[in-house]
Amino acid sequence: MNDTINFINIEGLKFFGKVNASISHELKNILAIISETSGLLNDLTDLAKQGKDLKLSMFENCSASIAEDIQRGFTTIKQMNRFAHSVDIPIKEINLFETLELTINLSGFLSFASKVQINNSDQETKSILTCPFLLQNLIYQILIFTYESVGPDGDIHIRIDSKNNDGAHLIFSSPAQLTLKGFPTQKIQKTVDVLGVELNINESPHELDIWIPYVSNKIIVLAKELQNDSYTGNDKQD
Amino acid sequence: MKVILVDDEKKFINMLAKRLALRGIQADAVFSGEDAIKKVSNKAYDVAVLDIKMPGISGIQLKKKLSILDPGLKYIFVTGHGTVSKSDEDLIQKDFYLSKPLDIEILIKRMNEIGKLGL
Repeated sequence: MNDTINFINIEGLKFFGKVNASISHELKNILAIISETSGLLNDLTDLAKQGKDLKLSMFENCSASIAEDIQRGFTTIKQMNRFAHSVDIPIKEINLFETLELTINLSGFLSFASKVQINNSDQETKSILTCPFLLQNLIYQILIFTYESVGPDGDIHIRIDSKNNDGAHLIFSSPAQLTLKGFPTQKIQKTVDVLGVELNINESPHELDIWIPYVSNKIIVLAKELQNDSYTGNDKQD
Repeated sequence: MKVILVDDEKKFINMLAKRLALRGIQADAVFSGEDAIKKVSNKAYDVAVLDIKMPGISGIQLKKKLSILDPGLKYIFVTGHGTVSKSDEDLIQKDFYLSKPLDIEILIKRMNEIGKLGL
């Protein structure tokens, strides 16, 4: 196994673990809310049995709240499932907007996540041939860096600019200027190198710009390496 | 018993406050460490129930700040994780911690124990 594949595997496993831990935390919070709400519903039912005159709306509010949180749970599980399947095919064509949206949602489960807005983006960009799981990992790492930069009350703005015929720009900015001290970390730089994307810090306006070619030479080489690697052959999907 | 509940999960903490109120326990719910500091600066509480992981000030950092404002305040920590990390465990070893979902009867029992033991 060469260094690049080793890097993808080790960092990928760490990323997978981190995302799963945050999803399990989210699901536990959802279940805790449902548990408290059904507990309140039981408390109210007991009081009603004892003859206490209670407004019907109190019961209705509880059941509406439970339904809402079950929906939140379903949405979380749907994202978990999409994320789990992102490792099925190591190199494939993806829609950048969908990948960005999923990664933002996954990072939103982190307790220190800031508010993220996708602005003026081209949702139907040309497909990008990439390693989807590694690209998610890169976007996730950059989101964490920007969250730590602006804090939980800060705002992160992201836009996709796909006017260029050769690729798309993924641009991160914040109304409260991003502090990029120590950026990029060694891990982010290595991920950038493996993916064959480019990282630029624009000074005016202060933005972080990832240039993602629709097809990079590094991805073509990586695809061949992965094909030759006995441990990373494509599995059939369930 | 006057209780302050601090958790960024607004619905969770509001439901818990309602259930405690039905059991005769006055509980104020706030959704951040910053709001908890403001509350404790203006009102005396017996017990603070703190979520360990919150955006901004964590539950453990919050305990340090609240202890300066009210040295007599007692603490119960709540975590959404199955276990707390070793470093967190060292910091809250003298306090109770409970995992979500909470059993309200156990929570009340712990609140009463804290009162009696004067921890």
